[in-house]
Amino acid sequence: MSPGLVTSAKNMLQNTADDKNNKRKTVNSEKTSSFSDKNKNRSADSKKKYETIIKVKSVIPRRRQDLLKWYGWGYKDSMFVLDENTTSFTGSRYLIGGKNLPYAKQWIKEHFDVDISKPHKVPQIPTTFPKSRLPDNIKQELEKITLLSTDGMDRLIRAHGQTLHDVYHLRENSFPRIPDAVVWPENHEQVEEIVNSASRHHFVIIPFGGGTSVSGSVTCPANEDRPIVVLDTSDMNSILWLDKEQLLARVQAGIVGQDLEREMRARGFTVGHEPDSYEFSTLGGWVATRASGMKKNTYGNIEDLVVQTKVVTPRGVIEKSCRVPRLSCGPEWEHIILGSEGCLGVVTEVTLKIRPLPPVVRYGSLVFPDWDSGFHFEREVARQRLQPSSIRLMDNEQFRFGHALKMEQSWGGVLLDGLKRFYITKIKGFDPLKLCVVTLLMEGSAEQVADSEKKMNAIAAQYGGVPGGAKNGEIGYTLTFVIAYVRDLALECDIVAESFETSVSWERALALCRNTKARVRSECAARRIAHYLISCRLTQTYDAGCCIYFYFGFKTVGFSDPVRVYEEIEEAARDEIIACGGSISHHHGVGKLRKKWYTSTVSEPGRLLLLAAKQALDPDNVFALGNMAFDQYTPDVVKSKL
Amino acid sequence: MSGFVNFTDILKPRNTKFGIVKFMTKKWDPMKTLTLDKYYGPQDLKKVVADSVYIDSFLEAESLRTGVSKEQLKKKVLEYLDEIALDEQTHVMRWMGIVFLKICFMMKIGVFVNEAAVLKLKSTLGKNPVLFLPTHRSYADFCLTTYLCYHYDITLPAVAAGMDFYSMAVVGQSMRETGAFYIRRTLVGSPLYAATLRHYVRTVVAKYGAPVEFFLEGTRSRSNKSLPPKYGMLSMTLVPYFAREVSDVTVVPVNISYDRVMEQTLFAYEHLGVPKPKETTGGLLKSLHRLNDHFGNIYINLGDPISIKEYLDRSADQLVDKSIHSAESLKPLDLQQLTVDQMDKVQDIADYVVTLQQESTVVTITNLLAIVLMQSLIVDEALSLEQVVDKIDWLIDVLRKLGASVFENDLKASVERILVVHKQMVTLDGDKLMLVPALPMVVSPDVQKKMKGHILKAETMVNAIPIIQLQLYVNPVLHYLIPPALIYAVVCSGDTTREQLFASYCKLRKMLRHEFFHLEKTEEMKFTQALQYCMDNNVIRDSIQNPGTLTSGPDRELQLLLRWSVLPALTTLATCVDVMMQCRISDHAQLLKLVQERAESGRCHPYCLSLEAAANCVQGLTLYGALLRHKENEISYEVVPDKIQECHSLITSVLPKINVDFSSSNTVISTNSIKSKL
Repeated sequence: MSPGLVTSAKNMLQNTADDKNNKRKTVNSEKTSSFSDKNKNRSADSKKKYETIIKVKSVIPRRRQDLLKWYGWGYKDSMFVLDENTTSFTGSRYLIGGKNLPYAKQWIKEHFDVDISKPHKVPQIPTTFPKSRLPDNIKQELEKITLLSTDGMDRLIRAHGQTLHDVYHLRENSFPRIPDAVVWPENHEQVEEIVNSASRHHFVIIPFGGGTSVSGSVTCPANEDRPIVVLDTSDMNSILWLDKEQLLARVQAGIVGQDLEREMRARGFTVGHEPDSYEFSTLGGWVATRASGMKKNTYGNIEDLVVQTKVVTPRGVIEKSCRVPRLSCGPEWEHIILGSEGCLGVVTEVTLKIRPLPPVVRYGSLVFPDWDSGFHFEREVARQRLQPSSIRLMDNEQFRFGHALKMEQSWGGVLLDGLKRFYITKIKGFDPLKLCVVTLLMEGSAEQVADSEKKMNAIAAQYGGVPGGAKNGEIGYTLTFVIAYVRDLALECDIVAESFETSVSWERALALCRNTKARVRSECAARRIAHYLISCRLTQTYDAGCCIYFYFGFKTVGFSDPVRVYEEIEEAARDEIIACGGSISHHHGVGKLRKKWYTSTVSEPGRLLLLAAKQALDPDNVFALGNMAFDQYTPDVVKSKL
Repeated sequence: MSGFVNFTDILKPRNTKFGIVKFMTKKWDPMKTLTLDKYYGPQDLKKVVADSVYIDSFLEAESLRTGVSKEQLKKKVLEYLDEIALDEQTHVMRWMGIVFLKICFMMKIGVFVNEAAVLKLKSTLGKNPVLFLPTHRSYADFCLTTYLCYHYDITLPAVAAGMDFYSMAVVGQSMRETGAFYIRRTLVGSPLYAATLRHYVRTVVAKYGAPVEFFLEGTRSRSNKSLPPKYGMLSMTLVPYFAREVSDVTVVPVNISYDRVMEQTLFAYEHLGVPKPKETTGGLLKSLHRLNDHFGNIYINLGDPISIKEYLDRSADQLVDKSIHSAESLKPLDLQQLTVDQMDKVQDIADYVVTLQQESTVVTITNLLAIVLMQSLIVDEALSLEQVVDKIDWLIDVLRKLGASVFENDLKASVERILVVHKQMVTLDGDKLMLVPALPMVVSPDVQKKMKGHILKAETMVNAIPIIQLQLYVNPVLHYLIPPALIYAVVCSGDTTREQLFASYCKLRKMLRHEFFHLEKTEEMKFTQALQYCMDNNVIRDSIQNPGTLTSGPDRELQLLLRWSVLPALTTLATCVDVMMQCRISDHAQLLKLVQERAESGRCHPYCLSLEAAANCVQGLTLYGALLRHKENEISYEVVPDKIQECHSLITSVLPKINVDFSSSNTVISTNSIKSKL
């Protein structure tokens, strides 16, 4: 037990003093990293705390514009392409990638009367940007903490989310205000330092994850005089620990959904949270918007998945001191953070539930003669609580749209399709212009899946439904991710298209769908819009109701400000939804788009509570995004100076 | 721990016909430290560790870091576990016990145990893990607590042993089978090994139900006095408490005091820079014949057990929230580690335990005899046996007043017994007690090449070895003497006020923190007590000429003892300061060589040749701020000019003016014995 005489009486006190100095040194040491090495460890700070840390190599690079479309949705290499002869989807990332879509053109023609011969309007990459207003002293201070950029493109692509409004401004490069700098902290401690700096120097922080918001929540506030710094969380994407026994993982909040899911799957687990944006959206973003995933029936919505969150607010870090399955200790303050839309602080770390990967995953579909019978089937499944991982009902328009995106098939496939079609339309007598489709995603053991399928079929039979095959189901779910790309194509063809969603109780749902569609139709008629599409689907079911998703698009030729027209019609539709007993949002959030209905939704005391939370956590309004009712908050200047 | 503690010789009852065999075949159903529903055996422990969430997560991350597959890493972990893990083989234990007792009888030793303390501890077993933290002065320490546990029917402790034993044929395996687990000396550069060890230790503490024993000092103290503790093992063993896998951990400080340390000569050589020989089974067998001698008594004294929970609660100063809730408790149990705050507490505990070990020191007759003989050498005047016994009697009184415990019934007989035990070190030359000089030696070029320090002259070494050996037996008592000795040394340099005295005292103590380990936070109390002692015993008194100041008192005898007791340390310190003032910057090894060289040419007290003492002083000076420590490839020091000047003037003013010739011309060094040996 003796390391030689000379070193034997090693001074341990001295050593620990040295260690402390070293720690400080690493914090203060200059960061000399470049933009290209996102996946390299910039410092070993967090390693010290978490020796079990799994540094995740993200699909999405720090220069997002290298991989992602700067002017729209998704990957650069993936888009719909229309030309004289064919319609296709480029790239190889999706099931329909690289395939011809022979039925698409006719459908587009039918619905929107688009002139395909017109050249596409792909916007030019912007070269001029508003000058960064970040003072040098703050810039230097932030650079000491972490990586910073004031590059125009970096700032522009983080000035917005994915609302129609955002994308229009983006393509025109006409944002009234873009952020003045972007920072990429790597861990909780750096976020703390940045937020401290913001409090001292009075600048604004916008937490930015995947930038997929469709509520305008992440959009840069136009009337902000203070410097605005976007805190891009994407470098905080490590899995800090993974407990396969407890089925829990502690993950940094900037991790992108597909990265998280890939890493978990590689280890035999899944988080099971798959919102349609999950390729790009981040864990922190899910928490901040109260996200919902396709498979919530099995895995739960984000609030069911999260066991614990750690949040940096200007008033300090808010986190429960224990990691427990449930707590009776007054109101759950974590729910103040869930859905706070970036206005109270930055989520830095989240403890999540994980599940073992299911051995069997099977798709399925059921065809119903009309929307009402499909709806009653869904209601019955929910009543019996037999929902598989996902169960969705598409209306006839959507079914036909899905059909329009069908790929070119071999003659056998065509024959089979023909037989199926024959069976459904001729033998069962379904009207092709009325029939609706339910898609199913079943997970579990082979036994469980078979059992579930049997039960679904049995209930479907009671409501006149017939099995429509696994393939149709699978196509339905693939389209989920591709549909978001349609808007970019549409914009190029002078069509604006957007979706909006709501939640509603079972007994009001049918009327809500009917009335909302009718309202949209009459709004279009009033504006002499001849070519449009309004469609809906039922995407989630609960004990007490369901989630309805509407798609609306119209041809904008002749309108000087099509976005405004769209927004007017959506607003009218939302008024109708609310009058029919629906909510302002099931999972997209309030943001800036749906402010109007916030207070009436939560009541006046509710609004006061929201502002009180602001006063308590962010009195100087560092997180000045102004979502929900937060634009009504004015910092009590006298008080905050004291 | 002052007062009279009763010690019982636990070997004596075995010294009968068939005593050994009868005892070593007794029914074995020992007390466990933990009452658990399910007990984990040695193989279970390995499995628990290998399958733990911690190791799994660690492998996951490590595999990503290094690119080595998880399976391969897992294999490595299993190998590490095979290397580390303890075992439990009752038959091996019985055979080892027989060998142990045989050797003990061959060495004619008595193992004296503070039985009351053991029985009291035993009565509290079953509630929570127990850590035995003994002092480490000899390899014999490894067997002693294990045998003690066998004697009192307590589960054999899991003993942390160095890899030196691991590689020893048969012995290594036998030790493993009686509860030893092996740890590498350094964890640097092998994170996977470190993780495996950490989790293994933690699991043993929380799930095994045996006491866990390790040496806080981390190595055998070659100087026979306390070393500053190492914190690694203690922090690993306390994780189960901080993670609340267990409700508490009981820490038992153990002091093992020897009449004669087997390794005394080797240690003396090591002080001079001759490296220790490698541990081998062959070496052990060869040295066996040398064990056929008298080795005197060994005293095992258990200090009052500390409840970690109570200790921390007491020191928690209303920061309860901070220490209980931490980011660590949000991690999975298996992954929980100590927070920075908790690590500070662990260090605090370790330091405290070392002082408790010191307080449990049993002053042996050897220590007393060594002090008397050393003083005799210093005043260059040999004493008769009668005078020696009188002097020891006086010394016992002095030490007891200073809080030491001395276990002695019949002084005269004991002194005679020790004269037999230490016949190679001390002898009665006629009527006079004298030091036995070392045999003249030739330092072979081979040894010279291996020497760590300055190449000393053969003559220097011959003269130094016996004195250093003697000093090794003075050292265990020094922690009682140093506080009053420093006070007296300061007063000797000129009358001083209490405040000035305290200031100088603190400075000196700081410089000597590593040579004489102590806690900084209790220094004021220690000073007050020592000052009171000096006043009460006429070492110093209030000055009549200069009211308000302190001056030297009338007790010459006690003053002499105090003056020379601090001589070697202060001289070494002064030498270090001189060397550094001269060379300004020096790397560690070079510095120690220069100190040795200067001590040799300056004919200082031979203990000043000690590399360990020099290293301690250099560290003390660094702590004081007189030296800056740089660590690049190797450690080097740089002088802080004004600070070193400050040290220089303080040390030279208090340095006792004692000049002694320690060469063979000293009248207390026997000349007869050489001839007789030749």
